[in-house]
Amino acid sequence: MSASRERILRRIARATAGREAPDHPGRLATPRAPDPVAEFTERFAAAGGEVVRVCAGAAGPGDGRGGRRSAVAGDGGATSAHEGCFADAGRTPGERLAEFVAELAAASPRVAVGRGVPPELRPPGRIVVPEQADVGICMAWAAAADTGSLVLESTDHRATQLLPPVVVVWVPRSRIFARLDDALLALSPRLPAAVGLHSGPSKSADIGGTVVVGVHGPGRCVAALLDADAPIDARR
Amino acid sequence: MAPGALPAASGRTAPSASAASSPPPRPATRPGDYAARSRRIIEETPEVREAVTDATLLFDRKRRSAYAEIESETWRRWAEGVKNHVLARLDHYLMEAEARLTANGAHVHWAAGAREAQEIVTAVAAGASARTVVKGKSMVSEEIALNEALEEAGVKVFETDLGEYVLQLLGESPSHIVGPAIHKNLEQVQRLFAQRLGTSPGDHPDALARAARDLLRDAFTSADVGITGANFVVAETGTVALVENEGNIRLATSLPRVHIVLAGIERLLPRLSDLAGFLQLTARAATGQPLSCFVTLVQGPASAPGDDGPEEVHVVFLDNGRTSVLEHEHAWQTLRCVRCGACLNACPVYRQTGGHAYGSVYSGPIGAVLDPGRVGLREAMPLPFASSLCGACGDACPVRIPIPELLVRWREEAQEAGLTPKTERAALSALAGAATRPRLFQAAARAATRFGASRAGRALPMLGAWRRKRTLPRPSRPTFRELWREGIE
Repeated sequence: MSASRERILRRIARATAGREAPDHPGRLATPRAPDPVAEFTERFAAAGGEVVRVCAGAAGPGDGRGGRRSAVAGDGGATSAHEGCFADAGRTPGERLAEFVAELAAASPRVAVGRGVPPELRPPGRIVVPEQADVGICMAWAAAADTGSLVLESTDHRATQLLPPVVVVWVPRSRIFARLDDALLALSPRLPAAVGLHSGPSKSADIGGTVVVGVHGPGRCVAALLDADAPIDARR
Repeated sequence: MAPGALPAASGRTAPSASAASSPPPRPATRPGDYAARSRRIIEETPEVREAVTDATLLFDRKRRSAYAEIESETWRRWAEGVKNHVLARLDHYLMEAEARLTANGAHVHWAAGAREAQEIVTAVAAGASARTVVKGKSMVSEEIALNEALEEAGVKVFETDLGEYVLQLLGESPSHIVGPAIHKNLEQVQRLFAQRLGTSPGDHPDALARAARDLLRDAFTSADVGITGANFVVAETGTVALVENEGNIRLATSLPRVHIVLAGIERLLPRLSDLAGFLQLTARAATGQPLSCFVTLVQGPASAPGDDGPEEVHVVFLDNGRTSVLEHEHAWQTLRCVRCGACLNACPVYRQTGGHAYGSVYSGPIGAVLDPGRVGLREAMPLPFASSLCGACGDACPVRIPIPELLVRWREEAQEAGLTPKTERAALSALAGAATRPRLFQAAARAATRFGASRAGRALPMLGAWRRKRTLPRPSRPTFRELWREGIE
């Protein structure tokens, strides 16, 4: 134990001796959104993120729109939340995602995939390292509606979450918590070495007060919501 | 490789570092020069006032809207309560955090002062054979002059926050806790980047950011060590929480082999369930966001399969005057500060000059009440007087630090300690003398109505400086007492 440690602790004890020691005020009661998915979608989009929905199995609201052009509903607009989705029982969500990713990035984008993404959610084809990828595909542990945040674990591979200019994150709808507090508490028994909360793309206003997107982290951040009836509930 | 660049370390490619060659040494500043420096900034660099006013008014407007969306009074009182609880048991929570972090595999260090903290960090960097360090924005690192110490030890330091990077190129210190370069306008950054990074003079901020990103991306992938501050440290879980919008802290805590955290000892929170509230309140107070774009929660080094994070995490708990602040009967409340900058944004005095006038790492209202306890009142003079006492800072503070009240208390202590200017002490003692002697007071009031404040202003040095830029109204010819005696119509 260092001398400084003892000195600091002794000085603190002396400073606080005889001073009133108030109790902890307990948990902060913050409102719970009645519809966490809608709240998450609104908040994430407001921060510049994009939300797409992927249905599997049963027909969704966008069913019959002519299907194969796009695997995932949405117009690819930079800040819009996409409400439609369509069913295509013949393919895995990962295959649908591959088409969406092709629309997002380039004709044949180089893709990196996080280690937590299960096989059926991986796009088919060649996988590259995050440093070379146009798009990173990751798996969220959860999401928080009140802050519009994706909760990402370090075990999913941090570089894939951070280095590609576009990052698409799978989130099962059932894993969207109403409050960040609830999500963190649910995670607390098994906290990994690091957790990243991502609420939209990287941005800065440090140059002349102008907002610039995609400074160090991803410039496009897409939350791909897996519908409740998707084959994937959660990773564990 | 560009001239001045470092050779590759550990088989990785070093960044082409021509743009980050050793910065010019920063001029030493101290609070004592506040008045002269303020005058110089206002007269010689009017663009600073313009840029700072624009930025802070925008921040403040966003903060007010973000407060309006929540029950801000309830949140602020809760946050105040949690921090008061922690500060009353700080030794207990520090030991809990230390035990938890150690159990998570992190190394915990303790530094009483700046020099010891420098030594710890440079030793860890040397142990990692570090040639290159990437840094996230950290006010504590400014406090201990870490960059200078690392450069002296032969380590190349890259500030990676965009604003901090601009300032590193210029050899300047941050002027605002959240927006370190808000005193610089676009044209100045365009000129700087054109000279140093080879961008075109009229480039849009997008292109300028891209140029910085490309250079710093190389630094991230080749750096051996990442250094950050800590917004919060949760004792219960040993969690270091870091907030930002650019993603540079996420990268600095993920890619290098070693991560060093510099944490002031007051950064503690008891439980993980406190974190969500503090993260949101801080973001709302600082930038008006529900949450910062990126939050990193570090528990320790990467150990699980699949985790590509650092092999070593070191947490340095720094005192550097904080226990002195804690000892003070009133000033201990400043240790609740979450470094959101809301008080700076709300302050009409800060707005005139930006942070450099204050000559201290912590500028604006919070610096003026924190520094007298942290570095000593004599050293911090005249900062407690650099305020109009309008109260806006106290209203903005997310943890309800009574900044205006503390400013007045420090002023009283300065007066008692004989640290105020002689002229002011003479004036105050004359006023006190007159106020307790009715005849003398009447005579003085009559004299003031005859001669007017303008002449008095010219006669007294303190008032002379004050009225140089102001036109004073003439006082009413009959005094208040004369009017009272006649019956006020």
